[in-house]
This record gives sequence, C-alpha cells and structure tokens, in this order.
Amino acid sequence: MAGGALAAGGVVVAGFPRLAVSAPSAAQDQKILNFALLLEYIEAGFYAEAFAKRKLSGKLLEYVSVVRGHERAHVAFLKSALGKNARKKPVLDFGDTTSDPQKFTAAAIALEETMIAAYNGQAANLTKPTLVLAAKIVSVEARHAGWIRALAGENPAPSATDRPKKPAEVQAAINHTGFVH
Amino acid sequence: MANEQTQHLTLSELDRDGAIREAVEQVSGDTRARFLGKAVLGSAALLGAVATPASADAAAASDVAILNYALTLEYLQSAFYTETERLGAIRGELKRVPRQLGAVERAHVRAIKAALGTAAARSPAFDFRGVTEDQTKFLKTAVAFEDLAAAAYKAQAARIRSPELLAAAISIHSVEARHAAWMRFLAGVTPAATAFDEGKPISEVKAIVASTHFVTAQPKMTSAKKPKYTG
Repeated sequence: MAGGALAAGGVVVAGFPRLAVSAPSAAQDQKILNFALLLEYIEAGFYAEAFAKRKLSGKLLEYVSVVRGHERAHVAFLKSALGKNARKKPVLDFGDTTSDPQKFTAAAIALEETMIAAYNGQAANLTKPTLVLAAKIVSVEARHAGWIRALAGENPAPSATDRPKKPAEVQAAINHTGFVH
Repeated sequence: MANEQTQHLTLSELDRDGAIREAVEQVSGDTRARFLGKAVLGSAALLGAVATPASADAAAASDVAILNYALTLEYLQSAFYTETERLGAIRGELKRVPRQLGAVERAHVRAIKAALGTAAARSPAFDFRGVTEDQTKFLKTAVAFEDLAAAAYKAQAARIRSPELLAAAISIHSVEARHAAWMRFLAGVTPAATAFDEGKPISEVKAIVASTHFVTAQPKMTSAKKPKYTG
C-alpha cells in the first residue's frame, strides 16, 4: 500500500458523508457527488504532481499524461454539477509516491480501485439522471485500474464482479494512504 | 441447456466473493440479504424476491428483459473465449487472455442465468469464422467485444428498477471496462481514450453484433426439431 510513513499517522479524513441508505433524492445526490468530488480531487492532485515532478518515464509517463487529464475533467465536471455547493479542494501530501515509480504504481492502483468501489457502492443511491452521469465516470476509472495493473504486471481484472464499498470503507482506504491532511 | 447444478445453486454459492450479497446488503439491509443468500436460484425465486414490492410486476418484467439482453452478450463473449481457449492457437502474451476472460464471462453467464431462473433466454449458436484461431483477429475482436459490453451495461444501468439487480449489473459493468482497457493495452491502443465513457443503446449494440455475423442461429424456444411440411 502506498503512503509509507505518511500513512502511519492514520489521519482521519474529515467530511466524508455518512450516507444513510434511503430513497434517491436531489439532496442525497449532492452529498454523494461531493463525496465523489473529494476522491477526484485526490486523484487529480496525485497525477498532476506526478506529471509535474517529471520522475516517471516510458509507459508510466504515458499513463500519467493521459490519466491526469481525465481526472481533471472529472473534477471540473463534478464542480460544475454541484455549483456553489461544491466542496473545496483538501490539502494533499503525496510524499514520494509521485516521484518513485514503484510507489507511484502501487498508489495509483490503490486509488483507482478505491474509486471503482466507491462509485459502484453508490449506484443504487443515486437518482437515475445522476446515475447516468456517474456511470460514464466509473468505467473510465475501471479502465485506468486495468491499465495501471497491466503496467504493474498484475491481473487487470482479478474477479468477476467489482465489490462495492461503503463510504466508511472508502474513508478507511483513503486514510490509509495518508494523502489527505 | 437446463443445468441440474444451476437449479440448486444459492446466491451464496454463486457469489463466492460476496460482491452481490454486499451490494444487496447495502441497499436493502442485512436481513434481506441473508434471506436472499439462502434463496435457491433457478426458479425465478430470486428475481421475484428482489423486485421492488411497490411495483413488483412492472419491475420484474422490464428487468427480466434487460437481464436477458445482458445474458445474450455474455453468451457471446463466453463462447468466444471458451472456443479460443479450447482451440489453443493463441500464443505468447495473449495466451492467458482466453483462459482468464473466459472464466469471468462464464461466471457472468452463470450469475445472470441463475438470477433469471426459468425466464433465462437460451444461448444462440455461434460461428466465429476462424477469429478464435488468429492472433490479430482474436485481439481486435476482444477489444471490440469488451468496449461493447461496457457500453451496453452502461446504457441499461439507469433503466434497471430493482436496486439489487442494479448493484449486481454495475459490479459487472466496471469489470467489462477493465477487460476493455487490458485488451486495448495488449493491442497497443490507448486503454482509456476519453474522460467520459458513453453508453450504447440496445439497437446500436444489436446492429454491431449482427454486423459480425457470429450469431448463426437464434435458440429454438419450443422444440428441438422444426416441423416439416411435406405437403
């Protein structure tokens, strides 16, 4: 798992919504999209920094060059959908995971897997119009996961179904990275 | 192709890594998920049990149609990889693809058939016209199938009424997208071409499948033999 010493602190990320399972509504969509926005901020920040540091090369550089644009687009899209209700970008610290190729790969896999599980976990809680939008994002995260796992020499799709995660589990995974301060 | 084993599977047996159960648990609570876990599949009991009580009939009818559509696509993919693995002509770094993807697509077929029970459509007959023995054609077809499957599931997600079936379908959708990225990676094309993936409606998906000419016969619904009119 990525994060190394940073994860040891076990900082609890504030602001994750406690989503009660209830009938989809506009208000609930807003909570879920803000939750997604936080995750997209982390990913976008991670890839932007990895690109800016210029320590990756070859196929990893190709990966980060493409994927950073996608995550930036996801952030812009969610911010625009949420308007004035959009949360602010958190303070992020990626340590050497954005410069060390091995740590970068491990962190990228962890982040992409978390994204898939988080979006899948909320699918049934969204109103149908919002679900249509979220579904366009989650498969791109799944493509990223498949891509970076292939680069790492791991099985890109290790199980027949992607296990959804509840917000608390997603929070635990993010806390474990130590990226959010 | 009635399968004796399938008739007695429970959701717990089928869903070994617990993904479907957890999805159900998340939307419906522990008790219902436990009940479903013990429900014997194969007799449409599961589908009835998971349908939203308020509009059970309508939900079941449209969800059955969507699941049967998904099942047909899974039959196609499953047959494709299974035949490729059996023929053993694909070598090198592609060698493990038909084995790994075949196992996953067969699991999708089993899961959807089990959820549909007696309402499950039968598999059409396929003729892959040598594509399963040709390295280049195999990979190009795999890329096309996986992109198509991801787009097909995506377009149906918001039409599924049962939260449980939606959770199950969405957990398959992202796996198809992983496959698409992997096949594209092996083919040397970008695994993720855009920031947002678009869905494909049923008519478009069916037109693409028809254009392959891989489907040679629709399943016979009633009798194994056609009546002959001899005058």
